[in-house]
Amino acid sequence: MSRLLLLLPTTTYRTEAFLNAAAKLGVEITVASGRGQALTDQQPTTNLTLDFLNPEAAARRVVDFSEKVPIDAAVGVDDDTTVLAAVIAKALSLPHNSVSSVSAAKNKHLMRELLRTGGVPVPRFALYSVDDNPELIARTVSYPCVVKPLILAASRGVIRANNEGEFIAAFQRVLKILEQPDVSARGSLSRNILVEEFIPGQEVALEGLLRNGKLELLALFDKPDPLDGPFFEETIYVTPSRLPSSVQSAIVETTRRASGALGLREGPVHAELRVNPQGPWVIEIAARSIGGLCSRALRFVSGMSLEEIILRHAFGWGVSSLERERQAAGVMMLPIPSAGILTEVRGQPEAKAVPGIEEIAITAHITQELVPLPEGAAYLGFIFARGETPQEVEAALREAHRRLEFVITPASEAKIS
Amino acid sequence: MGDTEIKDKVQELLENTVNPSVGMHGGFVQLIDVKDKIVYLQMGGGCQGCGAADVTLKMGIERMIREEIPEVEEVMDTTDHASGQNPYYAPSKG
Repeated sequence: MSRLLLLLPTTTYRTEAFLNAAAKLGVEITVASGRGQALTDQQPTTNLTLDFLNPEAAARRVVDFSEKVPIDAAVGVDDDTTVLAAVIAKALSLPHNSVSSVSAAKNKHLMRELLRTGGVPVPRFALYSVDDNPELIARTVSYPCVVKPLILAASRGVIRANNEGEFIAAFQRVLKILEQPDVSARGSLSRNILVEEFIPGQEVALEGLLRNGKLELLALFDKPDPLDGPFFEETIYVTPSRLPSSVQSAIVETTRRASGALGLREGPVHAELRVNPQGPWVIEIAARSIGGLCSRALRFVSGMSLEEIILRHAFGWGVSSLERERQAAGVMMLPIPSAGILTEVRGQPEAKAVPGIEEIAITAHITQELVPLPEGAAYLGFIFARGETPQEVEAALREAHRRLEFVITPASEAKIS
Repeated sequence: MGDTEIKDKVQELLENTVNPSVGMHGGFVQLIDVKDKIVYLQMGGGCQGCGAADVTLKMGIERMIREEIPEVEEVMDTTDHASGQNPYYAPSKG
């Protein structure tokens, strides 16, 4: 029986979806995590602890492991583990994206350089060291601009600045985020800050699958909430897109060129683009699938989940159809409105009763300390909806969100009953 | 093997093997019931709401139960993970 090495950070939202997909495919699984799983000692063939921050050492460990327990495919679920999966696949002589291509997709500066060289529209950008003087830089950049770390995901540490004063404040705020232990542990990439031109326009997210270098569209999501800063909080994704078909084609074509410019050839692609009268601009492109629980919004005519498609592709098995279901679908990532301790969530039955709402998944736990953007790295949860039209789906998500109430108490006052 | 016998064996496995290990992550696993060879479990403490709870359950506990008691047809997690107040690994973006 084929065996999957699934690289799962212990903090990922994706565990259930990938384990279910692997179970449905009937493959054996070994889960590798960056930190110890509770039952690793009892189940040494199915649980493995690897140093995710040291891909070469992790790959050597997997090569040793695979001599006793052969591995047929290695799959990562986020930016870090995607790079690790490529390093491991190379070491095991399994089909894979080049390590350089997935590493470039993870590094926002390298990504932009390769995209620019490849003629793909990207914002103008410049790279600075954490040791540079923000007051001097502030005099040289054009406004509005966006200040962002090189390596963090999901808008963490991304701040818009409209003038010199805002730039200096944003730069210093990003510096503090880069000093946080979970970030500084990631080495030299946490020692740089990217500053780029703010691109106005509507933002979309493209989910695709590369097969032998050819990009195939899985879904194109509109993001109907404006993302104009100062922080860039992801909220609603709705598919199919309501943009004109010519614009959608241009988005797919731009993403195809972007994948090629990075050298990506196989596996999932998640791209974020902005569209304005000049056309689509690539803001990010990642060699992984959509994050959080968002993949639950996607269903395919074949009956497969997104994760099944990804795993089948990783094993080199055929996927007959990548066609998404006919219905419109959407997800709302629930933003953290304020810092504090989550003490209660009200209105879930009322929110669930909104027509079109399929699921409300509250992933923050009671007593959790909530940290909003730009410092934070978690959602309150997710709302999922389906309907005949994207408009219906968007309206259902907004109404369900309106009915939810999150009681957040300042940390100094919190008393949990 | 009947449900009562399965219940005893699962209980023994949880007490002797599973809980000493998950206890090191501040967690515990309780047997709720066995009905028609379906085992119903509940996770608590550090396991409740933990980002790795699925791995612990599906890649650990469920496999151990199936290896030890092949008659078991299914292992069900009845935990309300959303109410977990002290998960060992809290999920975050990505």
